[in-house]
Amino acid sequence: MAVEMTMPILVVDDYKTMVRIIKNLLKQIGFENVDEASDGTEAFEKMKKKKYGLVISDWNMEPMTGYELLQKVRADESTKATPFIMVTAESKTENVIAAKKAGVNNYIVKPFNAGTLKAKMTAVIGDF
Amino acid sequence: MPAAEVAARVRQSLESVKVSDLENVQLIEVLRMAQQLTDTMQMFFGSLDKSIHQEFNSIAEYIAKTRDEIAHLRPNDIRESRLPGAGAELEALIADTERATETIMSEAETLMISETDDLDAYKMEVSDAMTKIIEACSFQDLTGQRVSKVVSSLKHIEERVARFAQTMGVNDAEATANEKAEEERKAKLHLNGPAIGGPETDQTNVDDLLAMDQDAIDALFD
Repeated sequence: MAVEMTMPILVVDDYKTMVRIIKNLLKQIGFENVDEASDGTEAFEKMKKKKYGLVISDWNMEPMTGYELLQKVRADESTKATPFIMVTAESKTENVIAAKKAGVNNYIVKPFNAGTLKAKMTAVIGDF
Repeated sequence: MPAAEVAARVRQSLESVKVSDLENVQLIEVLRMAQQLTDTMQMFFGSLDKSIHQEFNSIAEYIAKTRDEIAHLRPNDIRESRLPGAGAELEALIADTERATETIMSEAETLMISETDDLDAYKMEVSDAMTKIIEACSFQDLTGQRVSKVVSSLKHIEERVARFAQTMGVNDAEATANEKAEEERKAKLHLNGPAIGGPETDQTNVDDLLAMDQDAIDALFD
């Protein structure tokens, strides 16, 4: 099934600059319907109100981390199927394993480039 | 003289007063016993005073040494100058990088949507934007200098605290309940932050880990 280029994407990061970078990269590869949240709590509230085609989230945020958001998303019937990519500077093996166990669809280590973002998005949602 | 011995002597003197017929006791005899009692008490308090005096002396010396060491620590300098100075530098550093990021990002964003029909105008626009981006990169020099100042302050504090801890033979107290709770939260949520010297696991290794099945992952921890 072809990827719907107008699908809403939620970008979660407490650093406005990182949100802006990801939004710009998404725009470059053709996705313009992007919402943002600055932590897990705000992101989950948005996810309960609107169905997103993809969540791209940072790990280390306050008060609710991206890891907790992922666990919450997977535990909730209405959000559990949403594709979830972690984009983070957390690069210990234990982090990758923990995210995988929690049900992450892909994991991007910061700093990253447009090519990596596109490749991981393709792996998760299909070719576009 | 030990307290028990003094008590025994006093008791002995009192006994001897009791057994003698008080009516026949000569005043000189009473005085002699009083004298004996006083001497005994004096010896006792004398010895007591001396040891207490020594104890107080050593406490006073320790207090003087501590005060001296604390003065060397220069806590007021740390509290009023070093730490606020370092904080101000770091805040300025964040502002510098934010300003630079804003400029670079805005220029790039503008170029991404600019019209390309008029090639000469477009070339001019690109050239202007590139100049602004290059200028904005001067933040690297400023932030480098600011970081050096912060590092130098931290080194000062580190040296003084290390000297204080060593001279006073200070052992660290247990972490507070709040600190312990924060540590536990960080461990539970795997909040490690960026690694020094680049990612600990690079993207290729992350991809390999994600591709592994659960049994293979579990084997890593055996």
